[in-house]
Amino acid sequence: MVDVGTTLEMVQASQAGMSALGAGLAVGLTGIGAGIAEMAIGSAAVGATAENRDVFGLVLLLTVIPETIVIFGLVVALLLLF
Amino acid sequence: MAEISSGLATNYIYACTRMRVRRSLLIPREDYLRMLNMSLPEITRFIGETNYRSEIDELGTSFSGINLVEEALNWNLAKEYQNILELVPGELKYFTASYLRRWDIQNVVTILRGKLQGVQPGKLKEVLIPAGRLDKVALDRLLAEESPERVVEALKGERFYPVLEKELPRAMETGSFAHLENELYKGYYARLIADATGGIKGGSIFLKYIKLEIDTRNIQNLFRLRAGRVREDVRGLMIPGGSFSVEELQRLSGLEDRDEFIDALKRQVRTAPLLNTLEAIRGKSALHEVEVALTRVQLDQMVRMSKRYPFSILPVVVYLEEKKYEVANLRALARGKEAGLPGERLQGYLVM
Repeated sequence: MVDVGTTLEMVQASQAGMSALGAGLAVGLTGIGAGIAEMAIGSAAVGATAENRDVFGLVLLLTVIPETIVIFGLVVALLLLF
Repeated sequence: MAEISSGLATNYIYACTRMRVRRSLLIPREDYLRMLNMSLPEITRFIGETNYRSEIDELGTSFSGINLVEEALNWNLAKEYQNILELVPGELKYFTASYLRRWDIQNVVTILRGKLQGVQPGKLKEVLIPAGRLDKVALDRLLAEESPERVVEALKGERFYPVLEKELPRAMETGSFAHLENELYKGYYARLIADATGGIKGGSIFLKYIKLEIDTRNIQNLFRLRAGRVREDVRGLMIPGGSFSVEELQRLSGLEDRDEFIDALKRQVRTAPLLNTLEAIRGKSALHEVEVALTRVQLDQMVRMSKRYPFSILPVVVYLEEKKYEVANLRALARGKEAGLPGERLQGYLVM
């Protein structure tokens, strides 16, 4: 919403602010999503490693797979900011 | 039950994953088939290379032959069950402890029988499996008592004490602990149901397992009674609380013809695997084959249920049950080989 009396500078500043907010949300929300996903995978990974140490490398890889969501968020954030 | 922490879902995932990994390490069917062609020393060496290594190594100097296998299996089972009880969280611990109480009954009845027959405490100790609430120290205390009455007295405060107190005079009079044992197990199942319906989270899933267990036990008992040609009132021998009422079971046991009995049973059953098993049982005459088939279908059903509820008490109970049958299989194999039974005959007794 832009008031009739709003200057061009104010519109640009508002757009920059919205972009920054969007970038923040993109990283923040994907971070929360990845955290929730990793919570379950991490507990199972610790359980499996406790029983069989040989699977540590494999379960570590599985645990960090949800990090890709954060990377998508980060890419979106960077696109918004630059 | 406010003292039981509900905990986070992560605790459930952690514990259930550990149970699944342990389950995957149980002896597979192919290995049993290989063991059927081995001699007792070969079987001992074979299981000494699996999860039983530490027990076989530890007991190797004190025992030999069949006694070594027997002791190693008992020790391993008790150690494993106690370990699981320590690692499962919150409600799972409560239900697991509740389930493991069956070993207390088995141990107490073994001690009572041994005391009545004057068996040496040392000998008696070898057959006890301290997997329940009564640990090694508590069982040693019971073993030190002189008579069955003193043993029961020492158990004052235990859940099953009222049943013991009530039934012991009759058991002593008749010299048979069969009725006492039946009553103890009936009390155990009633208590399991009470624990499952006590409002604790996950209780309804535990109840599904209990009902399945009671149904299987009742059906097995009906087949046993038929094999033993018992035609009397069986209501006292059946476990209440399953999907069949005791009256229904009494009616089923009254059927003269075996095929008619199986047909009547099939009409009451809804699950397809059990229906197929009952149909397969029609052609089997040996009681042990019937029992093994029913046990197998119960385990399969439990595995299916544990997949439907992956983070519940079921994966824990499935592992506990399968471990119990692994130990029973290995014991049967070792005992059978000791007695010189052929592999084909032994195979029929294994739950694989």
